[in-house]
Amino acid sequence: MSKIKNILQVRWMSSLLFLIALIILTGLINSDFLTYDNIVACFNASVVFTLLAVGISFVIMTGEIDVSIGSTMGLMAAISGLIAQEKGSPVKMLILAVVIGTVVGIINGLGVAYFGVPSLIFTLGTCGVIRGLVYIVSQGKTVENFAGDFTGYGTQVCFASITWYYAIVFVIAIIAHLLLTRTRRGKYFIAVGDNPGGANLVGISVFWTKMAAYVLSGVFAGISGVAFASKYGQITISAGNGYEMSAIAACVLGGISLSGGLGNIAGAAIGAIIMSSVTRMLVFIGLPSTYDDAITGIMLITIVVIDALAQRSAIENARRKRLLMRTALTKADTDAKGGAEV
Amino acid sequence: MKLVKQLFKRWEFILLILLVLEFVVFGAANPAKFLRPASILSSITNYISICIIALFVTFVMITGGIDIQASSIIGLTSIIIGVSWSDGGLNIWVSVLLAILAAALCGALSGFFIAYCGVQPMVVTLGGSFLYSGLGLLISGMSKTPAYQGISGFPSKTETGAFVGFRFLGKGMLFGFLPTQIFIYIVLIILCSVLLHMTKYGRKIFLIGVNPQAAEYSGINTRLVIMSTYILTGIGAAISGILLTSNVDSAKSDLGATFTLSIITAVVLGGTLSTGGKGSIIGTALASIIICILRYGLPLCFGVSSQNLDLPVGVILIIIVVGRALAESGKLYRFFMPKKKTS
Repeated sequence: MSKIKNILQVRWMSSLLFLIALIILTGLINSDFLTYDNIVACFNASVVFTLLAVGISFVIMTGEIDVSIGSTMGLMAAISGLIAQEKGSPVKMLILAVVIGTVVGIINGLGVAYFGVPSLIFTLGTCGVIRGLVYIVSQGKTVENFAGDFTGYGTQVCFASITWYYAIVFVIAIIAHLLLTRTRRGKYFIAVGDNPGGANLVGISVFWTKMAAYVLSGVFAGISGVAFASKYGQITISAGNGYEMSAIAACVLGGISLSGGLGNIAGAAIGAIIMSSVTRMLVFIGLPSTYDDAITGIMLITIVVIDALAQRSAIENARRKRLLMRTALTKADTDAKGGAEV
Repeated sequence: MKLVKQLFKRWEFILLILLVLEFVVFGAANPAKFLRPASILSSITNYISICIIALFVTFVMITGGIDIQASSIIGLTSIIIGVSWSDGGLNIWVSVLLAILAAALCGALSGFFIAYCGVQPMVVTLGGSFLYSGLGLLISGMSKTPAYQGISGFPSKTETGAFVGFRFLGKGMLFGFLPTQIFIYIVLIILCSVLLHMTKYGRKIFLIGVNPQAAEYSGINTRLVIMSTYILTGIGAAISGILLTSNVDSAKSDLGATFTLSIITAVVLGGTLSTGGKGSIIGTALASIIICILRYGLPLCFGVSSQNLDLPVGVILIIIVVGRALAESGKLYRFFMPKKKTS
């Protein structure tokens, strides 16, 4: 019994339960949905979101935010599209993705951690700059008509109708999750987000931790750009606009607190699946996809409000317990004294 | 001398210098095209929604919150006006009132969750931005007009080409030279400044931003005040939605969807602290105008393609915020005046 309770207290478990509930709910309305292929298709569709959400969750964990990832993704998608037009190899794209992601991350990290500019504002600035670079790289035109089989990679199946892409992303997400929760350095991110002053006092460098978080976020955004290009085969100049908000929403759905220090990568990955499968579920429920945004919004607000209320009641319970203990103690105290006097 | 020093400590004064600098640089580069009052005014009307909403988001950010849902409320108001007027057959002014009411309700809903349930403002308004743009889409589905086309034909244009009634708000001219939009903007600036800097309500907002607990203990109903700031933003978004609809003569649910980041940029550039407790309406207004003029002047005088304005605007934003952070932490001062002992 206590084991079950422990499992339920793991934060990403509740998001997983939520996902399962969504799948079952859709299945109840339209039982055609409950086939293996349909559910796996939801997973396969979430590749880009998962990469973005895993990357940004490092930053959110340290209590900052990074709204430049959508543009970074768009930039890298445009670049890999241009490479694909000339039959360049995907390895070149991945190397470029890592390099560009690192550069963006270092700039963001410097601005936020060294100069102390509020992260939302600084990354807003870099967001604009990178969006401008997308125009320059693609010369204001949509990048399409890729040569070779670059766009074919996205649908190649690894095993049991799971695509290679999702398999790789899944492994990456698990590695990132373990790094964050099981290793010493990984726990630095959570420590810095929970209490930067305290982390500094025990000898954790807040600057380097935030820097690492931004670099990781940039690199993941870059890689997701490559995946985006290969998946959609057509990159407009506004590709990735608004993806940062969806990635943040995925993190929130996965139980990561935007004030930092709470949550983990597994939750973010599950949140990304929820975000990207809503559209598919709507089709099966029989609603037009115009309901997509409204339902995502309702889901997001419901989850965070329930979470906040649950947290508040937990805090109040703890306070009440402490108060009861204290009154019991003082009562026992006075009783003992009274007894002594008599 | 002391006065000058004090002036330089005011962020609004530096913004004013930046604005003058813009006029000097752009004016010198291309005086014939740049220095035309009509075009300068129209450069502001191009981004009037951002300017107006930024005024109201200043209130929210001074309380320590943030509002990223305002831009989705623009589309919602626009489509409510369109559908209730064209398909519902209501009087245009009734639909305008309806839209303002709906926007205030949207703001109140998010504000309620933030103030009374204690959820982080960023998350709630993120959810709100999905929800309200989704609602806009749903409402646009109720119309007979296809969503991509937009509802048009609002009243009304006389045969001489003058705009009257609803369209006068977005296209009309006052006294022959002042666009109605700018007039409304000026009125709003004055109203907001009075509300924020001269009333009890404004003092409460500042106190909540500095220290919410102290505000609560000193008898301020902090929750109600915080909620009211989000209602104000909703109304601000409604006003800009109305102006935008009237200006382009088209009601669409995705109007203004990309404004979020520009609004925050304007507020922050105006000197409002994102942690709350500091900021001014004049600063926000000046910063908005600086961005407008920048977006107008760069393509005109330096041949920057108007598609590619994000890059220079982003660079300037970064330079200004980093410079400000350096100046405030004293790093810049120490860099220029090393090892000067003051004791």
